[in-house]
Amino acid sequence: MAGPSSAPTPPGEAAAEVPSRPAARRFAEIVCPPEVRADGRDERLLREFGLMLGSLPPAARKALAMALAAVDQGARLYPPSRGRRFTRLDEQTATAYVRALLARPDPAAELVRRLKSVLVMCYYELPEVQREIGYDPEPYIAAVSRRRLERHGLEIRAAGHDGS
Amino acid sequence: MTVPDGLTTRDGVDGDLVLECGAVVVGSGAGGATVAAELAEAGVDVIVLEEGGYHPTESFTAGTGAALRTLYRDGGGGMAIGRPSVLYAEGRCVGGSTVVNGGMSWRTPARVLQRWAERDGLPGIGERDLDPYFAAIESRLSVSEQDPETIGRDSELFRDAARARGWAVVPNRRNQLHCAGTSNCSSGCPTGAKQSMLVTSVPRALAAGARLFADVRVDRVIRNRAGAAGVTGHVVRPGGRRGPALTVRARAVIVAGGAIQTPALLARSGLRPACGQLGRNLSVHPNAVVTAFFDEEVTGWQGVHQAFQVREFTGEGLLLTATNLTPSMLAGILPAYGAELGALMADYNRIVTAGPLVSDTGTGRIRYLPGLGPQVFYQLTERDAARVVRGVELTAQALFTAGARRVLLPFEGAPVVRDPGELGRLLARPVPRRALQLFSIHLMGTARMSADPRRGVTGSFGEFHGVPGLFVADASLFPGPIGINPMETVIALAMRNARRLLDRRASYGI
Repeated sequence: MAGPSSAPTPPGEAAAEVPSRPAARRFAEIVCPPEVRADGRDERLLREFGLMLGSLPPAARKALAMALAAVDQGARLYPPSRGRRFTRLDEQTATAYVRALLARPDPAAELVRRLKSVLVMCYYELPEVQREIGYDPEPYIAAVSRRRLERHGLEIRAAGHDGS
Repeated sequence: MTVPDGLTTRDGVDGDLVLECGAVVVGSGAGGATVAAELAEAGVDVIVLEEGGYHPTESFTAGTGAALRTLYRDGGGGMAIGRPSVLYAEGRCVGGSTVVNGGMSWRTPARVLQRWAERDGLPGIGERDLDPYFAAIESRLSVSEQDPETIGRDSELFRDAARARGWAVVPNRRNQLHCAGTSNCSSGCPTGAKQSMLVTSVPRALAAGARLFADVRVDRVIRNRAGAAGVTGHVVRPGGRRGPALTVRARAVIVAGGAIQTPALLARSGLRPACGQLGRNLSVHPNAVVTAFFDEEVTGWQGVHQAFQVREFTGEGLLLTATNLTPSMLAGILPAYGAELGALMADYNRIVTAGPLVSDTGTGRIRYLPGLGPQVFYQLTERDAARVVRGVELTAQALFTAGARRVLLPFEGAPVVRDPGELGRLLARPVPRRALQLFSIHLMGTARMSADPRRGVTGSFGEFHGVPGLFVADASLFPGPIGINPMETVIALAMRNARRLLDRRASYGI
């Protein structure tokens, strides 16, 4: 039966398990700036990635999981890898492999590019990374919200809004 | 944070439910919330079902990731498959896409309305017919230009450059009550200044007695011999798990889930209009983003984005504007990775992003595939691809005029461009269609109106041909693209069609 709800819907924070976690971490190390390896950022990035995966429909989650597995195992077919999987490649070879993957024009590469987009998005969601590039919106939002109420509070309240 | 009277979230439903009402509305965005408010204020017993959650203004923050997961369908990562594919985003929350859009509020161009009237035989849809609706909307939603102190430097640079080139520029009009300029439109307005449905028509509908169930996904429209008879659905538990079942018996069913979900719901309900056009004719207003780097600090995230529109090229089907992107969104589209990406992003506060919106001539299609849900297919035409390239070129020219030192074009594999001469030389060669990086937030046309049932899915006032009592009330209704931000058109059509329904309410028994 329906009763009164006491609370709004909680935010979408249902994390999904990150598939091929070592490959995801290695791929993130290559596509994100080198600082991703500092101070446990890679762990926090993977947590963010898990949350993002949790918001995707099952088909998209599967597609990204397949892309990660393909990136990992597909490295064996990349001649300079000498049969090794992606997670076993040295820095130079792994970087060259990813560059080659991203440059391919086929639909499979589009999925890899999508994976790259999601991972770098997750990296730039980390607050410390945002502060490093000069993006710190909360104090700004607080300041302009105050300015709005100081300048237009009467009109806002008259319109039936409390300005919160 | 509390929940308003009349609104129930998933916490409030602990068992299967069967409800009855006069009209059930599926979706609480621009169309659904408007119809709900109009009907409820006229005394109709209304139930609104919204698949997304209820997230009040106080819950909105600047976190892009959290917003994508909470306020958008599928984390904002929809993809229309084609060559190239087009990324799109749909809102999914109480208030729908109006909670996460830029709030641009423009009347439907007269030439578009005239085309609709002539080609699809739609009565009462001329400029004069809709003027009273537009006036009411603009008054109710406080549609106006930005207060000057809230305008971002990126918008000013783009405006000044466009004017210097002699182009027509207009201030954007938004549904906002003294917008603070937080530049947080796409993550939910944290001040409540944006007059989205969340803070306007949804509260109106609730105050008039409507009941709203958030976190409820509608599975099917129920029909009987007379026509539409209600809907069935279920509560969505955390992680998308299926909760209690919900059945709403109603004498009128209004579907307003947007141009992708609406045809998908109708198709999985077994509805097959004679015209064969359900799910077809998708227009997306493809847009592209040019990234420009300046010597000066622009801090485009301080101040409202899209404060102006360049209207010089509307005859070519192009609108140009400066749109600030958060760091994660920008990083997600930049054609770089590793240290190179880090170097580009280190200049985040010196970046201006701007681009064209194209009134498209190509169309796409929604197919509902069991197990996969709605799948979107869209093929950009050669003509539209040329217009995207033209829009990108114009945008880049304006950014150079504004003082940009280099620009990145939204073409896969394109080099950095450092001056207008390089730009001209680069674009003298054809840009492959598949190389275009395109986005969309304007999805339209998949249940189009036409007086002729051989052409349209719905009739002149949004009623599904052949199913009395079943209505569509979102951008699916558009017979074609409108070349401008569609929200005000959606609301105007919803008001017009709701009032028509009220005029005939006795025949529907509501």
